[in-house]
Amino acid sequence: MPERFFLSEMEEMTGIAVSECYQCFRCTNGCPAARDMDIVPHRIIGYIISGERECVLSSAGLWACLQCAACSIRCPNGIDVARIFTVLRRMSVESGLAAQTNIHEFDTLMVESIARHGHMYELGTVMRYRLSRRELLKSYRMGIGMIKKRRIGLFPHNVADRNNIRSIIKKTGGRGK
Amino acid sequence: MIALSYYPGCSLRSSSDFYDISLKKVMAYYGVALKELDDWSCCGALAALMVNEGLSLALSARNIALAEGSGFHLVAPCSACYARTKTAARKIAEDKETRRMVNDALSPLSCNGNIEVKNIIEVFLEYIGIERIADSVSYDLAPIHAVAYYGCLLTRIMGISPSDDIEDPMGMDIILKALGVTVIPWQYKTECCGASSTITNGDVTAKLSGRLIKAVVRSGAQTIVTTCPLCQLNLDLITYLGEDIQPVPVLFLPEIFELAIFGKISGGARHIVSIRDIEQAIAPVKGHVR
Ligand code: SF4
Ligand code: SF4
Repeated sequence: MPERFFLSEMEEMTGIAVSECYQCFRCTNGCPAARDMDIVPHRIIGYIISGERECVLSSAGLWACLQCAACSIRCPNGIDVARIFTVLRRMSVESGLAAQTNIHEFDTLMVESIARHGHMYELGTVMRYRLSRRELLKSYRMGIGMIKKRRIGLFPHNVADRNNIRSIIKKTGGRGK
Repeated sequence: MIALSYYPGCSLRSSSDFYDISLKKVMAYYGVALKELDDWSCCGALAALMVNEGLSLALSARNIALAEGSGFHLVAPCSACYARTKTAARKIAEDKETRRMVNDALSPLSCNGNIEVKNIIEVFLEYIGIERIADSVSYDLAPIHAVAYYGCLLTRIMGISPSDDIEDPMGMDIILKALGVTVIPWQYKTECCGASSTITNGDVTAKLSGRLIKAVVRSGAQTIVTTCPLCQLNLDLITYLGEDIQPVPVLFLPEIFELAIFGKISGGARHIVSIRDIEQAIAPVKGHVR
């Protein structure tokens, strides 16, 4: 069921004039992930305008977006479509409608890594992600190849003033939901 | 002597530390001092932005605060660090509410966002200059046929006048030509490599990076030159990502400088796709006296 306030909710939250979209498809035309989306970018914008909140927030396509910003740069009306996708992802997690959770899970683990070390500890984050999904052996060959060439750090680097990092994360509301 | 604040970012401390070494070596050669930010931290890349925008801004603000204290312009070689830091600096400078929010989170550090954030292409062009670059060439790089790959994050930063043409950037092409490289034109300069989906959705990275590499091969180039550590790694990993294609060596821009100046790449052994053919293709410039 369409929700009348979805458009104004989005416009107020992002400061982006979504209603200026005239459905020219330029965003979708330049999108490298459009083929993997159930709802392509210009349609997402169109559905926001027509108030299809649930349909948009449960779209699997939100999670196919690579944040390359081709859409935003090409929109003749200056609509930052990539940012709309970012905000929609957060909303879809918060509303419990998210079509998938693994990307959000991985992003949250990365933020936790920063909370712990102040730097991104890639190996630790990838291992925790694989463990949580019980897919430890996935891309095992790639992992060994990377370790051989030292293309993944074995040990974390730590910021000295980690109290400052922890306080930043706490005061900004941290890891989200 | 030119001095710049330097924000290497996490990739240049781990997976791509040879990029850091190469860049420092080349900058030292030209007399540019890179003053690393004291106790810098991660910008959160796309992950923090996805989870919480305020957090993303505050993480960048911490490094901006450290840089403001130094008084120099800030250079960030990683495209993600560059885009995040530059976006945050503008937002902090222009929007009072953002400034208040980040400074509250940062305290006792503080910042006002008034800082120039540069990528390394800008540093080469603006601080060293194309003539000095051309003058420093000791090895003939004409046998190297390369495409310049900028990636998506370098020029597509919303709300900021880009450092180069958004759809057809030329800065790296100009530098490579000055270094004597045979630069091959192609259409994929800013196409996405699959970015951070390598772990969560490797098939997408395989498809997009694979498409890029096929385009390189079709163009007749033997190598890709980039400044983005994530692009370099994704393209370098192509054989592990399951694409059955002929891989192509992917060099960081400072590594081409190393070839032109010293005839050798210091971090050659760290490349997953061998760069031996590239190194062996070059010879000292005839009649060149240093
Ligand atoms: S490019 Fe802009 S105006 Fe055109 S369809 Fe996409 S969002 Fe709408
Ligand atoms: S940012 Fe996302 S939606 Fe926009 S073009 Fe890139 S992949 Fe497509």
